[in-house]
Amino acid sequence: MAAPQGTVEYESIYKSEGKVYPREVSGTFQRLRTAAVFWLLGMFYLFPWLSWDGRQAVLFDLPARRFYIFGLTFWPQDFIFLALLLIMAGLALFFFTALAGRLWCGYACPQTVWTEVFLWIERLFEGDRHQRMKLDRAPWTWKKFLRKGGKHLAWVLFAAWTGFTFVGFFTPIRELGGRLFSLEWGFWESFWAVFYGFATWGNAGFLREQVCKYMCPYARFQGAMFDRDTLIIAYDPRRGEPRGPRRREIASVLERERGLLPLAAAQAAVAFHAWQTAQKGTARVTTGLADQPPPAAPKASRPEELGDCIDCTICIQVCPTGIDIRNGLQYECIACGACIDACDGVMDRLGYPRGLIRYTTQNLVEGGKTRILRPRVLIYGTLLLSLAGLWSYGVFHRSDLGLDVLRDRNALYRETLAGIENSYTLKISNRLTEPRRLRLSVEGAEGVIVVEPAEAFTVGPDRVERLPATLRAAHGTLHGVQQIRLVLTDLERPEHRAVRETRFFAPEEPLR
Amino acid sequence: MSDFDHPPRPLVQRLGAILWPSFFAAGVASMVFFAAIDPAELAEISALPYWPESRELGYTLGFLLFWTATAASSTFTWILLRPASRFNRRPG
Ligand code: SF4
Ligand code: SF4
Repeated sequence: MAAPQGTVEYESIYKSEGKVYPREVSGTFQRLRTAAVFWLLGMFYLFPWLSWDGRQAVLFDLPARRFYIFGLTFWPQDFIFLALLLIMAGLALFFFTALAGRLWCGYACPQTVWTEVFLWIERLFEGDRHQRMKLDRAPWTWKKFLRKGGKHLAWVLFAAWTGFTFVGFFTPIRELGGRLFSLEWGFWESFWAVFYGFATWGNAGFLREQVCKYMCPYARFQGAMFDRDTLIIAYDPRRGEPRGPRRREIASVLERERGLLPLAAAQAAVAFHAWQTAQKGTARVTTGLADQPPPAAPKASRPEELGDCIDCTICIQVCPTGIDIRNGLQYECIACGACIDACDGVMDRLGYPRGLIRYTTQNLVEGGKTRILRPRVLIYGTLLLSLAGLWSYGVFHRSDLGLDVLRDRNALYRETLAGIENSYTLKISNRLTEPRRLRLSVEGAEGVIVVEPAEAFTVGPDRVERLPATLRAAHGTLHGVQQIRLVLTDLERPEHRAVRETRFFAPEEPLR
Repeated sequence: MSDFDHPPRPLVQRLGAILWPSFFAAGVASMVFFAAIDPAELAEISALPYWPESRELGYTLGFLLFWTATAASSTFTWILLRPASRFNRRPG
């Protein structure tokens, strides 16, 4: 039975997805990426070990419901700042994506960063791309076993350390390390260390580019934030096509008569090669690119008509996602810049100017002009800046005395010999690192006095205290509902006050 | 649209597409929820008779509840998106 044509195509493409063996590369962008790896992972592995004011500098203490980040302490009441931070992170993603594409993916995403380290380890044990491919094809020998085993052992150790560090952000890490060998970890500490270590190991060691392609939501919707002025990594087909090896030395098209190809011819060449790639399976290609019927591509009958691409395929070999950037912008491309470095190296050897593959914009590759300051960039930028300002102002002007008032739910009021009484529960938070002496008072209603707590009382440092409170009004002085304000004053720092509105109930006025 | 019938995806892909987004959503939901509500205080609410006293267990239970809900929703979406051919199997 004949299957629908699309099915076969899908299957063949699906099956051609073998393992990617990224070739090592050196150059400007690789150095930038290495720097990013050291900086970001440096923060991750180092921060839990730093101290600040006698406690761990960065600690997310969930059981105590406190987050410590260097000099700042965040309480559950500060949730608004966390929410704002998340909104800002989202906006920043929009802003940078509109401006410069997938910067996040190429340089900062934990997936990319950890994969890079796992690749380094892999190279250390199994050698370069060629040696790795050979090793995978070779039959199992002791040597292969040792190389593979060594790699996996190093991976597991590194992943285990990563899991331990992760838990160290939530439980003081020195103490956690001390309890490691006496096997005194709690269930949740062990669970999260294993879980995080396992996820790192699986994602960076095995899944790699598949995480970007199948699991990452950002990879799917980043395209919506792009426009024709977004910085992307692109191959310049007007300069590169028709591609092909050359026997004798000819100058770059930029320096000889032929010059850049007309746009239409260059685009036809790209479409043709994308289709051909799909047929031959030499690189990964998305069906959308391959569906088009092959148009006629310009051919070079004489070496003088050749473009600058020598079709050495090094740009494909270095690509961590296994695509051919010469087929145009593809959602698989994580903008790591490896193909730029690779091609620049080739251009250097040929004595051609660099930049056949480069950071550019869709408008520029097509020979147009590009604008950096577009409405969306300005809007995202302004929003981001104002939120950041608001956030910092808010964080540094947080009140460090908190008061919440809950009315007693069982009775509106109580009649006693001395008068009408209302009961409340106060939730008082002292965010200072020293104890405070506090006094409760009432404002807004004549004749209501505080019965309990009558005296000044103390709330310990960095604590939330629950406290019963009773207010009283003499018989006959008040009727119905009164809006009142409860005021908490710090006796040593009178300028520290916390005020809450609440209600005081008394019996209705009797009818005459 | 043509009558293109997508071949069934491998089990791992199906499981991944249901479990992973729901895990992510449950994580965000738990964060928002527990920032506002102390799990230790949930134990005092009489409508929740079996809520654990300890915060660690409270966080875990809350997260698992959220994950159950989000995973159920993802599964539902998956069922609704399955092509008719998966249900209209020819006998034999
Ligand atoms: S095509 Fe590949 S190598 Fe080039 S930037 Fe994209 S992901 Fe990196
Ligand atoms: S590395 Fe440069 S010259 Fe080599 S195939 Fe890629 S684009 Fe062409």
